[in-house]
Amino acid sequence: MSSIVLAASGIDYTYPGGVQALQGLDLTIEKGRKLAILGPNGSGKTTLLLHLNGTLRPSSGQILINSRPLSYDRDSLTAWRRRVGLVLQDPDDQLFSANVYQDVSFGPLNLGLSEAETRVRVNAALTALRIDKLADRATHMLSLGQKKRVAIAGILAMQPELLILDEPTAGLDPQGAVHLLGVLQKLHEAGTTLVFSTHDVDLAYTWADQVAIFVKGRVLKQGDAATVFADQELLRAARLKTPLILDIAQVLYGGWHACAADGPPRSRAALLRLLQESIDRSGRDGEPESIRVRR
Amino acid sequence: MLAIDRWAWTNRWRRYHPAEKGLLAGGMLLLAVALPAPTTGPVIIAVMFLATVAGAGIPALTWLRVMALPGAFLITSIPFLVLSLDFSSGLSVALSPQGWEPALHVVLRSLAAVSCLTFLTLTTPAIDLVPLLRRLGVPRPVVEMMLLIYRLVFVFLERAASARQAQIARQGYAGFRNSLRSLGLLVTNLFQRSLERAQRMETGLAARGFQGELRVLTPQWTLSQFRLIIIISLLLGVAATGLALDAAAL
Repeated sequence: MSSIVLAASGIDYTYPGGVQALQGLDLTIEKGRKLAILGPNGSGKTTLLLHLNGTLRPSSGQILINSRPLSYDRDSLTAWRRRVGLVLQDPDDQLFSANVYQDVSFGPLNLGLSEAETRVRVNAALTALRIDKLADRATHMLSLGQKKRVAIAGILAMQPELLILDEPTAGLDPQGAVHLLGVLQKLHEAGTTLVFSTHDVDLAYTWADQVAIFVKGRVLKQGDAATVFADQELLRAARLKTPLILDIAQVLYGGWHACAADGPPRSRAALLRLLQESIDRSGRDGEPESIRVRR
Repeated sequence: MLAIDRWAWTNRWRRYHPAEKGLLAGGMLLLAVALPAPTTGPVIIAVMFLATVAGAGIPALTWLRVMALPGAFLITSIPFLVLSLDFSSGLSVALSPQGWEPALHVVLRSLAAVSCLTFLTLTTPAIDLVPLLRRLGVPRPVVEMMLLIYRLVFVFLERAASARQAQIARQGYAGFRNSLRSLGLLVTNLFQRSLERAQRMETGLAARGFQGELRVLTPQWTLSQFRLIIIISLLLGVAATGLALDAAAL
């Protein structure tokens, strides 16, 4: 399929010292999708992401970019990282410069862009993340959420086709998370393919098109969010909870298979709408008791 | 040091071109060194105080605190400037009355010079001066090291502060023995963490296309002709005042 931009095929990776982090992992990333890699902490998600931008090299198996195996010489890696941007979980690992503007300008300059072009890109990236006002602030005086946005702006200024984020919402307060997701949604709508790791089932369910369930170095299943989360067996095996929205929909309809033609609700808003409809319906029937949800 | 850095990033003159502030501080520094100290010194200190406090909006107390450290060194060294050693018949130490004047000169000159640097450090983040250094011919690797060190110092300090808090919360610094042990652990831990950090940072930079050169663009400052004219007339004014006072005193 031509729409697969990046794929991992049967990759194994063992850390020096013998800890096996990945074992026979398969993953495909389709163009223009939002893919969540969902798994518990410490299961090797970061290791996987580091493979996707060529920082780590699998001991066996292959990373395929546009269906061609990647080579690990300097030039190929440079070309690869030009297309695939990776944002690390801890922004302090990525921000090296004293002020925000300088830091964001680093990536575009490395691409060999001119000073004028770089300035355009830096300003665009700062605007996209709504941090223009931070441009001449000191990196070390920013909050975690601001640092995260600066780190993302630094990658965004390189205009990658594929943006990989390691736990983008970790450590953010709810408002910061909502803000960040809003920005990412805009990027997605502008055509960027997004891949992010998370241990948050609700985030993966409401926000991703596709979910890969990642346990102990393997992807147990990858598919549409609705399909993956329908598989109770799988969730149990991965020790994951069902997303709260699905849980409620299930109670409401006695199994969400029965819900509606367009499938179970995917967002908080959709769920609330369904709840309201259900309450309204029972109101019309003149049976106040029937507001009681069916079991 | 952290307080100085904080003010440097947030003061009212933060957005003025670093070269303007550099010219003011550097020019005054030259005057402090070149002109007679007893008359020019106080004028320079007064001007730099006003520039820092009234101009850039730094609290007077902060200014005093920053001046106090080198000031204290100066004052403790006065006795040694005033004492005269005589080796002609063994060793004899005496307070020399003629020693007072040169001592006063040295102190005033030094304080004037310190006030210039205090102004610069409180109004300009060290990192803003880096492009100037580059233009003045400092080699690229040195400048890149400065950039990295400046950033990492703060990452490191943050780590150290939170680790120390965690130790304090567990009575790590109750008593001399505990303190020694905790400090030792802290240092080892920081060393290890710094190595890990360096490794992760390498990954982070590689992801951003790092190829051995830390090239960045600074925000564009604009030189204001208006301010340059004011600075230059201020410098000339201080020089003239100093010289006139000196002539009047003779």
